[in-house]
Amino acid sequence: MTTRSYLLKEGYDNLKKNASKTFSTMLIIFLTLLIVGIFIVIFQNVNHNIKEVREQQGLQAFIKDGIKESDIEYARSEILQIEGVKSVDYISKEASYQDALNVFGDQSYFLEGLEKVNPFPASFIVRFYNIEEANAIKEKIEKIDNIYNVQFNEGTINAVIIISRIANIFLISVGSVMLIVSMFIISNTIKLAVYSNKREIYIMRYIGATNSFIRKPFIYEGIIMGVVSSLTSFMTISIAYVVLYARLPKVGTSLGIFGFIPYSQLWYQVLIILLIIGLLIGMIGSALSLRKYLKV
Amino acid sequence: MKKEEKVSIRRNTTTSANDVSIFKNDSIIEFKNVTKDYNHEVVALNKVSFKIKKGEFIFLVGPSGSGKSTILKLLVREELATEGNVIVNGQDVANLKEKDVPFFRRKIGFVFQDFRLLYDRTVAENIIFALMVVGATEREIKMQLANVLELVGLTGKENYYPNQLSGGEQQRVALARALATKPSVLIADEPTGNLDPKTADEIFKMLVEINNRGTTILVVTHAKDTVDKLNKRVIALSAGRVISDEKGGYAGYDY
Ligand SMILES: Nc1ncnc2c1ncn2[C@@H]1O[C@H](COP(=O)(O)OP(=O)(O)O)[C@@H](O)[C@H]1O
Ligand SMILES: [Mg+2]
Repeated sequence: MTTRSYLLKEGYDNLKKNASKTFSTMLIIFLTLLIVGIFIVIFQNVNHNIKEVREQQGLQAFIKDGIKESDIEYARSEILQIEGVKSVDYISKEASYQDALNVFGDQSYFLEGLEKVNPFPASFIVRFYNIEEANAIKEKIEKIDNIYNVQFNEGTINAVIIISRIANIFLISVGSVMLIVSMFIISNTIKLAVYSNKREIYIMRYIGATNSFIRKPFIYEGIIMGVVSSLTSFMTISIAYVVLYARLPKVGTSLGIFGFIPYSQLWYQVLIILLIIGLLIGMIGSALSLRKYLKV
Repeated sequence: MKKEEKVSIRRNTTTSANDVSIFKNDSIIEFKNVTKDYNHEVVALNKVSFKIKKGEFIFLVGPSGSGKSTILKLLVREELATEGNVIVNGQDVANLKEKDVPFFRRKIGFVFQDFRLLYDRTVAENIIFALMVVGATEREIKMQLANVLELVGLTGKENYYPNQLSGGEQQRVALARALATKPSVLIADEPTGNLDPKTADEIFKMLVEINNRGTTILVVTHAKDTVDKLNKRVIALSAGRVISDEKGGYAGYDY
């Protein structure tokens, strides 16, 4: 048996000695990492959808009323010349009116009298290649003659953005409180392990064990708890996501509202982040207690 | 390696006559006017001075509370002297850096009255544990395990748990563990305090044998007859002071 495998075995033995304590500690870390994982999943989905919808729907540039068709054509060609613009579609005043009728459906009776006045402006729908350039493109379009207003065409996603923000704030605050709590719970569990190994530690000191030799089994204990918890929470999230995904709208197939990303685009991010966090809280948690309770 | 370098640096830079004398005579342990009080109240040791040469066998005797265990604790730097110097292998233990203390302790084997074995481990595992602590290789572990088991006469009992052994045997396991790491000094705090006289005699015989092989030995004991019989140097303490330090026992005293 090498020294390393000996130290690992000691860490593992400590876990077994305090089985029920170990279990409840890992349960708390598991729940914490579950929240972190859910946060990652929601964050990635929402971001992906916002991007998708923005790319799909692009910008809407409103055209002043009563201008000549040639001026409209000119404005269109100006927009098309802007770098990063993929396509420009013209929506006439009539088409806008029809759209409104469709949107309001049965309630559209109040629009009937407006047919002749038609308050809806004509517009261009501008799509582009890269969402990052949206603002720069928007500014350039605003400077073009006969265009009076440019908007992100994201009516549908505004609600998604707001809801996701609230969810994110909630998850981040609950998650960070739980991360801190987990760390202290780990540190408390390690403290008990240190206490129940007092005799060994005393003997080790007399034999001439270095501080790091004495600490290592406890650090390994914390790391094992962290990693096992992160793997179980990863499994739970994976299974839940795959099961739910089968029943939920998928990105790209729905009508631009909200669709979920396939898990194949997501799992590695969830796994890596959960593993890193699990490892870190295990290490920091045990280091916290060792600094205080293992005066060697 | 590191430690040796430090020692030689000390040798070259020190000018005090006392320090140089440590190296002239080959004393391995020296107490110079050592005073120790616990919590500024109990004076456990009061200006204690003595030198121990490499290879000596020494009994440390005195009534309970006279400061014997304190001397051993100062030696392994579990406690620090309030005044005076404790010098081991030419090094003042007060100058040891915290991170060097474990390496310093590896040169001193320690045996306690209550054995201090790990009861959930076998005889072999207890000894292997000590060798692992000092980072021995697998080869060294195998060799030393066999060596020390033979030395203390426990060959064949390596897979017993301490509870399956007699007190004398348990103390021999502790002895084997202390010797496994090849310390140059062995100190024992009442190693036979929990044993009957016959078993105690066996342990003392073993200590003499270990001493004959070159290990310096310092034993705290109340075993008066053995001290008289073995005719070694005896340092006698009373109320924290050295009251006698000579070869041949301390007959006039009840300890
Ligand atoms: N950790 C301690 N704190 C306070 N007093 C102590 C401590 N250890 C020993 N003493 C006191 O120091 C004196 C010497 O103790 P000790 O060295 O253990 O004596 P011995 O081993 O000769 O019986 C005693 O009066 C004892 O009560
Ligand atoms: Mg004592």
